[in-house]
Amino acid sequence: MADEKFDAIVVGGGPAGLSAAYVMAKAGMQVIVVERGDYCGSKNVFGGIFFTNVMKELIPDFLKDAPVERNVSKRRFSFLTPTGEVGGGFKFDRFNKEPFNNSFTVLRAKFDRWFSEKVEEAGAMIITGTVVDDFLLKDGKICGVKARMEDGDLYGDVVVLADGVNSLLAKKLGFHNELSAESTIVGVKETIALPEERIRDRFGLTGNEGVAYEYFGMATGGAIGSGFIYTNKDTISVGIGATIKSMLEHKLNPNDVLEAFKAHPVVAPLVRDGEQKEYSAHLIPDGGYDKLSKLYGDNVLVVGDAAGFVNATLFHEGTNLAMESGKLAGQTVVESFNKGKNYSAEALSQYKTRLDNSFAMRDMKQFRGSGKALEHNSKLFGKYAVLMEDVVSELFAVDGEAKWPKEVRLVKKVLTADNPFALLKTALDMRKVIV
Amino acid sequence: MSKYFTTMEDKLGLDKFKAFEKTHLKIKDGADPKVVERKLFICPARVYELNDRGEPIVSFENCLECGTCRVAAPDEVEWEYPQGGYGVTFKYG
Repeated sequence: MADEKFDAIVVGGGPAGLSAAYVMAKAGMQVIVVERGDYCGSKNVFGGIFFTNVMKELIPDFLKDAPVERNVSKRRFSFLTPTGEVGGGFKFDRFNKEPFNNSFTVLRAKFDRWFSEKVEEAGAMIITGTVVDDFLLKDGKICGVKARMEDGDLYGDVVVLADGVNSLLAKKLGFHNELSAESTIVGVKETIALPEERIRDRFGLTGNEGVAYEYFGMATGGAIGSGFIYTNKDTISVGIGATIKSMLEHKLNPNDVLEAFKAHPVVAPLVRDGEQKEYSAHLIPDGGYDKLSKLYGDNVLVVGDAAGFVNATLFHEGTNLAMESGKLAGQTVVESFNKGKNYSAEALSQYKTRLDNSFAMRDMKQFRGSGKALEHNSKLFGKYAVLMEDVVSELFAVDGEAKWPKEVRLVKKVLTADNPFALLKTALDMRKVIV
Repeated sequence: MSKYFTTMEDKLGLDKFKAFEKTHLKIKDGADPKVVERKLFICPARVYELNDRGEPIVSFENCLECGTCRVAAPDEVEWEYPQGGYGVTFKYG
């Protein structure tokens, strides 16, 4: 490949890298995407919902042939207690028609692969099964990447780093500190096959609609995290995620936590009688706005998980932030390409300007304190969950006690269970993961 | 009636792996092997174990490539991506 030179090199064929490549290729640039897996998507794992608001901008008719599983019209958020749950949610039929609230369950091995074909159709070249370990430098500036293979030097005017959460390359540049154990979530998931009819009956669904069930409280063995069930067409995705630090503190293995989650009385009937198809694991960058990497330098930009674009609050958005950052990086590069190929850090700072005006960065900013808020309120994942079951189950217990004295007693119980100010502070902190 | 897998061995048996000849993970020379019991129990695939003599065994061929070990024990674990085209291939993901 030594003689070839590309206008742009994208490292990583996930949603962020593919979005950048799509935009650049559509603008007539010579683009190469380097993916380490056998195909795009083969190394990619997430919980379950692909938010397609940016996909719709890039490929307006994507629903014509994109392999989506179910449109998510029903979401439920619940607080798992020792033997049950306290929860609520929504289901709207209006989400069952275009644009389906831009929320679809997908399987990444299929979906990312499909997206990569669209990127190829747009004119980009994709090489798979190839790991990039380093950069090529000329006069101290990036002029390409070094792939781990014979004759693996690839030259390009600008490099887009979309190499995912571990992003060894962004770290090599010093754009990023090492991921920290308290702000990185490890997630594990099982994909479990169930007949379509049974999925519809079990989750109360019609046709192709689907659910996202998220579980907080005692879903993760006391660690700071959550569990989930998402319905695909004829499989369900069941998993848990928690910060590495709290897993270490509680001496937990993620698979054991997942097994306990699946055995919880609330979850067990929803996942039973299925056939396990796959077990997977992945990291989620949960550092929020304050842990975002440096986003650009001379001849280089960072997008997606590699930069830290995940909104791990109640909204659990990531794929759309990845695509937005990739799209904006692509647009920035195209503008530089058309203006004399000036890819200096100053020229590429447009990427940051564009991001600052986007929903992606605005959401990152708004929820900047959410990770810390949960870390400071770890009782939510243990003590308070027990208290919630005690209080709510007693309140609704039909036991002949009159309501008023019972309510007075329960309020007292709550106020003496912990320092009332600690409880109040937790309540106020929880605001940070919602608004 | 299908069997429900709960052991790590059975679960990893669901996944498609293609092992490279060389490991992409190791415990750094000179690192205390006790890190396996202190931290690396967190590995979702239980790649790290101690043998009877207290020496670490690293079953890299079972690695799900998540990176949890390198974040949990950055001073003790040496980690890189496996050779391109090798390692785990997710069919669902």
